[in-house]
Amino acid sequence: MNRITYTLLFFLVNLVGFAGVAQAADLVTGTEFGAANEIIVHFSKAVDKAEAADPGRYIVFEELDPDIRLEIESIAVADSGREAVLTFADPLNSHNTHIVNTIGIGGVEQASFSVSKPYLGYLASILIAALLINNFVFTKYLGLCVFFGTSKRKDTATGMGVVFTIVIVVAVSMAWVLYQYVLKPFHLDYLQIVVFIGLTSLTIQAVDTILRKVNPILFKSFGVFLVLVIANCIIIAVPLLMASNEYNYFETLMLSLGAGFGFLLALYLMSSVRERIDLARIPESFKGLPIAFVVAGQFAMAFLGFSGLQLF
Amino acid sequence: MATEKTHGQLVADGILKENPIFKLALSMCPAVGISTTVMNGIMLGIAVLMVQVLSSVTISALKDFIHPRIRIPTYTLTIATWVTVIDLSLAAYFPAAYIKMGIFVKIIVAFAIITMRLEMFACKESVPASFWDGLGMGLGFLIGMVVLGAVRELLGSGALLGYDVLGFKPLLFFILPSAGFFVVGLMMGFFNWIEEFYKARKRG
Amino acid sequence: MKMIITIIFRLTVSCLLAGLVMGTTFVLTNKAKKANEFAREERVVYSLLGFSKENPIPESMGMYEVFRYLVSENGQQTIGYLVPLGGHGEDGGFSFIRIDLDAAFVDKTDVALSHDKVREQGDRDAAVQAALGTDKTIRFVEQTVVVTDHGERTAYLLHGKFPGYKTNIAIMLALAPDYSVIGLEIMEHEEDPGLGAEIEQNYFKKQFMFKPFEKIKAIEVVKEPMPVEYVDALEGKIDEAAAADMMKQYKDNDIYALTGATISSDAVSSGIKAMTRKFAYRFDVLDQVIEEQHIGVPF
Repeated sequence: MNRITYTLLFFLVNLVGFAGVAQAADLVTGTEFGAANEIIVHFSKAVDKAEAADPGRYIVFEELDPDIRLEIESIAVADSGREAVLTFADPLNSHNTHIVNTIGIGGVEQASFSVSKPYLGYLASILIAALLINNFVFTKYLGLCVFFGTSKRKDTATGMGVVFTIVIVVAVSMAWVLYQYVLKPFHLDYLQIVVFIGLTSLTIQAVDTILRKVNPILFKSFGVFLVLVIANCIIIAVPLLMASNEYNYFETLMLSLGAGFGFLLALYLMSSVRERIDLARIPESFKGLPIAFVVAGQFAMAFLGFSGLQLF
Repeated sequence: MATEKTHGQLVADGILKENPIFKLALSMCPAVGISTTVMNGIMLGIAVLMVQVLSSVTISALKDFIHPRIRIPTYTLTIATWVTVIDLSLAAYFPAAYIKMGIFVKIIVAFAIITMRLEMFACKESVPASFWDGLGMGLGFLIGMVVLGAVRELLGSGALLGYDVLGFKPLLFFILPSAGFFVVGLMMGFFNWIEEFYKARKRG
Repeated sequence: MKMIITIIFRLTVSCLLAGLVMGTTFVLTNKAKKANEFAREERVVYSLLGFSKENPIPESMGMYEVFRYLVSENGQQTIGYLVPLGGHGEDGGFSFIRIDLDAAFVDKTDVALSHDKVREQGDRDAAVQAALGTDKTIRFVEQTVVVTDHGERTAYLLHGKFPGYKTNIAIMLALAPDYSVIGLEIMEHEEDPGLGAEIEQNYFKKQFMFKPFEKIKAIEVVKEPMPVEYVDALEGKIDEAAAADMMKQYKDNDIYALTGATISSDAVSSGIKAMTRKFAYRFDVLDQVIEEQHIGVPF
């Protein structure tokens, strides 16, 4: 499990290494936030260093506050003339998109481009949040009934986790479609609960039927978990979260993937511990569920350590 | 097929023999997440009680109308409807409490306990019997949540229902979210131990 | 076949019944929900200004809402303010003032809107759009309340939302006419109980009181223990006059961070810093325009 997580993270970090894409077609190839009060601009060709170092040729503001001009303290231009680092008097709020307008640099009369945190990084951060920081089992205390029921052995645990991830991704995607195109336009927000749970039942029914026909052997090993998915509180929590945060499709996908994998991770960890506990000496009254709860409590405390994690 | 239990017995069963939290180990998500104060426990307990009773009564009243092939979707629909009603009402009339409970009111729709009750009892029994059975289950949940909330609030912030009882905070740990697991686990162990104790006494 | 039809029929009837029940509940509870939200905001506003049940709002006090919009026209952006007109207690209608990004006046348009409808974003946006014409797109950004007493300005009330340690923190800030802080309320947050959630406590919130604008513009957070006398004053353990004196003594100090919650403390401080600076700049510009153009606002 560790190796898989590492490879996934490695992959994501590489993807995320890209800087934000510039909007102005020719002058600028990329922009990014540097240190707390820096914006780094990459030019497509070498520009006149004196021009690029002149603060008067830049107008910088946050996208939502176009009338508040940010004060540039100094500009450092690289020797190649293809990079300029703008240092500001105050730390920048890198959560917001910033707009940079240049006047008369590199022969271009007026150019405008935006600077924001890489979108892939933002998507990855949603995934990491749902997976670790806000793990649905250990931090949000959802899905516990199913969790304690299926975490006795590693194979049931992984089976449940995988089935759950598949169902949640499909169900939440459909929920997103219905939310954006039916519930919101017609102001039927109060029907969220009914619609979301209905979609989940439908998905489970569909997966059940398909699996039965397509791969009966797989169905034999995994089919029993399908019924349990609907009793899992997470399955209704994720669409509700998606609706209240107004995520777009990719963000929803990341959220549901994170929730599913987080559940799988929690199940795997728990089952590893429970298998060993079964062989330990435990007081009669604590055997079974009580000790499982105590173990879960310790996991919850451990996961608190992820609080405030910010990779991107 | 009417049940032979009296109404009182139905209620008592729900509270003691088949207590959802401590015995059946169902609907544990709020037990761990929300039971930081007695007030939270009461409010969520009442919400679950109402959903359970209303759903039981509705299904029992409509039991002849529901086609057996689609009974599970119908149960889900009924529960979802009543959860939405309770959710909207709580948000409108008790906003302060509603904010504290967050998403947990909406999550009631995923509680296995309610669907199970409908499947096992309400679809076969008469309306009054279903009412009392639902009441018993709901009360069991409510009492469980209140007990948990009392333990955590008393030991965590030295207060009960917001009133300062102890005058100091014994262990802040108890109201931290992760402590929910510990408290429920310890209480379950405790209940088991009491049961073992009484069984041993009966035998010996 | 017959079974399928029966199933579908009964299912549809059930769905319709369910929909009816939920729809009625929604209609009934929606009004109560809106009233609750409004009452809550009112309570916060009154406590921010120092009023309560024992000390109610006097007749001479006026509260006027100014709404800020972003107007886009052919790729050019201007800032628009919807301001009320007329005197105290009169309904003189509203005017939409447009100011460009270099703080120069653009134009003003009269907007046909009644005082009760102005709080509803849908009605308000529609009225403003109608007054401006369809060639411009408008977007509502935020609202501010200007509080007057006998026609003289006494306070500005601002809303703000910024990222905290976990998710966003929403606050309400009360500024004096010289932009010093006179009150702070934390409206929403999801910080950890016992750690970041302590931003709700008086010993953190009240540190911002009486700090002058010059200090707020450059406020920082220091990780030092607070002097006991200061804590007592903030928590209200000494009498009001002495407490106010003590707080004024510390008005040029930076904010003492919460133990174990430096990031939350810093988030609130930076948020207040940014809010105050932006507001001061914008309102000075608006004031200048109002004076030059002789717009009859009640504040």
